[in-house]
Amino acid sequence: MRIFNRLIMILLLIGLALLGVFAVVYSFELLGYKLANLPVGPVGDSVSGFVNSIESGPGPLTIAILALVAILGLVLLIMELKPRTPRKVKMQEGTYMKRDVVEKEVSAAADSTPNILDSSTKVKARRKPGAEVKLDANIRRGEDQKEIQSDLRKRIEDRLSSSGAPVSKLKIRMIESDPRETKTRVQ
Amino acid sequence: MAEDIQLARAAAKAALATEGIYSMGAGRFAEVATYEGSEKVSGVAVRPDEIEVHVVARFPLPKPIPQIADDLRRRVRLETGGRKTSIIFTDLEVAQDENL
Repeated sequence: MRIFNRLIMILLLIGLALLGVFAVVYSFELLGYKLANLPVGPVGDSVSGFVNSIESGPGPLTIAILALVAILGLVLLIMELKPRTPRKVKMQEGTYMKRDVVEKEVSAAADSTPNILDSSTKVKARRKPGAEVKLDANIRRGEDQKEIQSDLRKRIEDRLSSSGAPVSKLKIRMIESDPRETKTRVQ
Repeated sequence: MAEDIQLARAAAKAALATEGIYSMGAGRFAEVATYEGSEKVSGVAVRPDEIEVHVVARFPLPKPIPQIADDLRRRVRLETGGRKTSIIFTDLEVAQDENL
């Protein structure tokens, strides 16, 4: 969102700078340009009509447009003020771990679990210690999902606690897959 | 600046001497390093209020990562006059003498 806001700000500032240059050139009648010769056109007419309509008592459409602009501005402001999601996983005060390291550990634990054919891991850092891990594990159709899931969870927790990699939330999703389309066919 | 490179050098030396550390972490997209003249110390960023040490841990781990971090911090603080130290583990590397 920060990038989106920055792009909007850059475009706005470029627009303002250009308007400023034009305002100076036309106001001081430089290079033969005069304010009276400005081509207002249909866009200018509609803008002045819109402003006049606001002055003479806004209609429901005008109110809706203004409310929408205000809400959009507020949403962008909140997005900008919201603290950024950290990139590194906090372990304790002053000690961090890259998300890749946690991801590697979780993937290694998943790959060593029987009946898991393939897995994909997503790690999200949080402001407090520990990472949020989402793991998609592929298994064969007809396998006992609950049993495999609890085995997988135990292996991941064991591996992470032995290495000290911090995970505060672990979500496991079991996906029934065709072994021909997964990394491993037999486990 | 000259003090920064000396601190960085000392921090890197202390980090590499810690059990469980494989190498300094160099950063993937933006390089983490301290520069002075033609010299560069990778994996250490000396900031006004703290020293950031990026390291790669050796796998299999000789002890849990928090313990490695505590040892590393203690060593780095000794070498850098007790400056606040942040430690970032950037990767795990299987050592060449390990047949994994």
